[in-house]
Amino acid sequence: MSFFGFDNNRHNTAAAGFSQAHNPFAGLSSREDDGDALEFEETYDGLGNQLEETGDAFNDDTFGDTAIETKPVGKDFDFFGQTAQVANAIEEEHVRFHRQVPASRVSQPAAQYNTQAFPQQPTAGPSYGYASQASSHRPARTGYEKYSNEPVAELQVDAALWGVAPKKQPQPAPPASIPAAAPVPPPSRKFMSLEEVEAQMRAQSKKAAPSPAPQPAATLAGPSQPQVPPQTQYPGGSPFPQHVQPHVSAQAEHARKDQAFPPGHGHPVTILQRPQSKQAQAPSPQPPVQPAAHPRQQPSAPVPPMHILQNPNRPSGDAAGLGQHPIPPMPVAYPTHPHHRLQGSFSRQPQIITHPSQLTQLSEEEKSAYLEQEAKRAKRNHKIFLMSRDNGLMTPQDKSFITRIQLQQLVSATGNPNEHGTDESLAEDFYYQVHSQIQGGQRQNPNQPLNNFAQTYLFQTGSRQAGHRRHHRGPENHMQRMEQQVQRAVEAAKNKPKNKQLVIEGSLGKISFSNGKTPKPLLNIKRAEHTSEVPRPGSAHRHVSNIADRKSELRAIEAIYTTLMKMEDHDRTVPPPPASDDDTDAIQKFVAWNSEAQVLNDKLWTSLRIHAQQSDGQVHPFIALLSYSKGKKAMQRIFRHLTHEQRTTILTLVVVNLDGLDVVRNAQVTPEAVQLNAAMRENVELFSVAVMSTLFNFLNELDLDLVAGVLGLVSTRDVGVIAKSRIGASMLTMILSRAEIIKHGGGGSEQTWRDWDMTYTQFFGLLEPTLPHMFPGPVTSSDDTYVWQLLAALGIGAGPDQQQRLVLAVKDRVMDTVALSKTLPQDLAAQRLQNVNLFMRSIGLDVELLQ
Amino acid sequence: MADAREEGTAVSEPLDLVRLLLDEVVCVKLRGDRELKGRLHAYDSHCNLVLGDVEETIYVADDEDEENAKTVSRKSEMLFVRGDSVVLISPQARPF
Repeated sequence: MSFFGFDNNRHNTAAAGFSQAHNPFAGLSSREDDGDALEFEETYDGLGNQLEETGDAFNDDTFGDTAIETKPVGKDFDFFGQTAQVANAIEEEHVRFHRQVPASRVSQPAAQYNTQAFPQQPTAGPSYGYASQASSHRPARTGYEKYSNEPVAELQVDAALWGVAPKKQPQPAPPASIPAAAPVPPPSRKFMSLEEVEAQMRAQSKKAAPSPAPQPAATLAGPSQPQVPPQTQYPGGSPFPQHVQPHVSAQAEHARKDQAFPPGHGHPVTILQRPQSKQAQAPSPQPPVQPAAHPRQQPSAPVPPMHILQNPNRPSGDAAGLGQHPIPPMPVAYPTHPHHRLQGSFSRQPQIITHPSQLTQLSEEEKSAYLEQEAKRAKRNHKIFLMSRDNGLMTPQDKSFITRIQLQQLVSATGNPNEHGTDESLAEDFYYQVHSQIQGGQRQNPNQPLNNFAQTYLFQTGSRQAGHRRHHRGPENHMQRMEQQVQRAVEAAKNKPKNKQLVIEGSLGKISFSNGKTPKPLLNIKRAEHTSEVPRPGSAHRHVSNIADRKSELRAIEAIYTTLMKMEDHDRTVPPPPASDDDTDAIQKFVAWNSEAQVLNDKLWTSLRIHAQQSDGQVHPFIALLSYSKGKKAMQRIFRHLTHEQRTTILTLVVVNLDGLDVVRNAQVTPEAVQLNAAMRENVELFSVAVMSTLFNFLNELDLDLVAGVLGLVSTRDVGVIAKSRIGASMLTMILSRAEIIKHGGGGSEQTWRDWDMTYTQFFGLLEPTLPHMFPGPVTSSDDTYVWQLLAALGIGAGPDQQQRLVLAVKDRVMDTVALSKTLPQDLAAQRLQNVNLFMRSIGLDVELLQ
Repeated sequence: MADAREEGTAVSEPLDLVRLLLDEVVCVKLRGDRELKGRLHAYDSHCNLVLGDVEETIYVADDEDEENAKTVSRKSEMLFVRGDSVVLISPQARPF
């Protein structure tokens, strides 16, 4: 009965083509019950895919014959018991079959499995009644044999894993059968054991045989009666008499039709779909290859179809058959075919009620008990129906595939005691492989101790010895192993190097280890002491410097520019001076503007670092700014915003540090041909343009006393160095000429002039030794104009004695230049002579006197 | 560096450092194996640069002789460099 219900489900859910494929398995399942359980598993091999769908043409012939053969078989067969008896014979046939089969169809591996697991042989025609049934199955099997083979092997392995399988075997089937039994239910969706099924069948057959008509009629509704007649009808020529029978009995008209159809499958469908299948049956479309499906059902079919049709009445029928005791038989019946009654159960109750004869037979208690049971069953059936809605979504292949994966994982996770392939599992582990590669490279000697990491994490699996040790451990040791690993990890953490930091050679800092209390400083860089000073050619006194200085200087310059821009901006917003004292608003604005200007001025002044401390051996911070071109360029703008005192201070500062200026210190001239490098020349040029002109303009506003003071300051410095640079010489010329201009202007007091003369004399004395060496390069170099200018300025202010010394000091240069000029083109010669004449005239002479 | 704040020009973004290089000679590395050396006149937030007196050096990889890459250099009086090609800007050691 359950089988039948099974088929119905399949047909309903699956496409026609699918059902064909499925039915064979159902047939197989029946065999399994006989003890051939292995076959079912075989279906998982995926051989189904290899089936020739188109090769079913002869199935009809094959199965039609079988159907006829099965007909004589009664319902009272006892597969389980009988097959057990006949097992040996079946085995023999099986072997025989195998010898035959390989040639025809079965692949080699399949053949091997067949010999082991298959008790049944398709080819042999058994003499027993039951054997004949088996034979009838075989043809169906031929297509699926391969399926049965492989799954068996897998299952065997699995069983070995747990080692429990053999004990559990309830059936005489070979050891492999157990694993097979487990998988079987899912595909067939039966939960009945073979014994149960057969018990049912036997029970039914008893009813039918002794009192074919009366019993069913009394206990069951219409459908039950037909059971007997249909059986007799088989010979009539319908291959599927059993299926048809119920219909015939229920509704005569329908029965005819059903017979006409090959409805074997169609009926089941209707039954499952509609509880009232008896009344109106729309035969479902039947797969063209019915024969294929049929044979499978046959083993179980003889009885099951009837059950299915009778399902609604069945419980009562059983009860009747067992002596009108509804309750006792039920336990047997219910468990056996709960699924198949899915909907039938609902229809059952109404039917029972509608038949007064049944109800009257029952006492009140019995009735209530029965109803209760019915309700329970309905509930259960409904539940099962809900659960079985998704049945058939997966093919047996899918299921076996997933099962295989799960088993693999299970085995690999727990460590199969029977498994000998531990190394294989490791071999599949990518990370282990990589690690062993790396580890192997470092550790040529296997006895060499593993490093810290490996000891911590890989001791168990990493080393070969550990791998072997693993074999001897049961899976129950896994927890233990994990604990050990954790313990080891903790120990390793404890043993981690205690030193707080690690200095890697060549790195800028140290790498520190962190812990919860002292988070790791990412960089631990020692501040560079001032000892690491970089020689800096940019300034005379700055033999050493460091980047920090340079940066701060650049920052100062930027600050200066920023302030300058603000001040210039501020200048543009200068309010008109208050017209009168009454205009308080204007006055207020003006005051506010002034104060703001003052703030900016202070800021600028601070940025200039005029009053910053000058450390020994270092260039004054302000002078350092002048070593940058942008510092030089800023000078003009700076002066515009400074007060007179501030400008004086700057001038003083510059003069005091004249020999410290990079353009002086590093632009010394020598008699030998010296060409300053381009950058320096540019630098000097820029200085003279940007700074000197600014200072010159300012100097021209100064009084004699201040000029004398400046000259006096110069005298405190290294005059020789100053004079030998273009900038220095220009500065000297500037100062001297300013004094001369004042003299010509009649400025200055007697006292100041005396002071000036004293200063001048002192200065002259300092300068005199350098006079012959002030000229840049040999006489052929042309750019010595500034030197002649200085000499001229000197000569003008000099006394007769000093003039004499002057002439003596530079006489050679004068003569050389005059001589050279004669060889030069007219223009150049005139220019050179003119330069010389500057000096000559300052002392009352003329070049022409020399020629 | 500590007194940077006192000077009012604290470094608040990387380009503030570039600002310090204004009017200084800088080395600029560009994509495409090029280097520029010149005076930085101006820049903006995209690292677009205006350089003066630029010497551009192009490193040409030679297929046959990979070890000795040839360099091609040329000079420009003024150059505008689009910022998307700038890889780095570095101050140049003072040339004298």
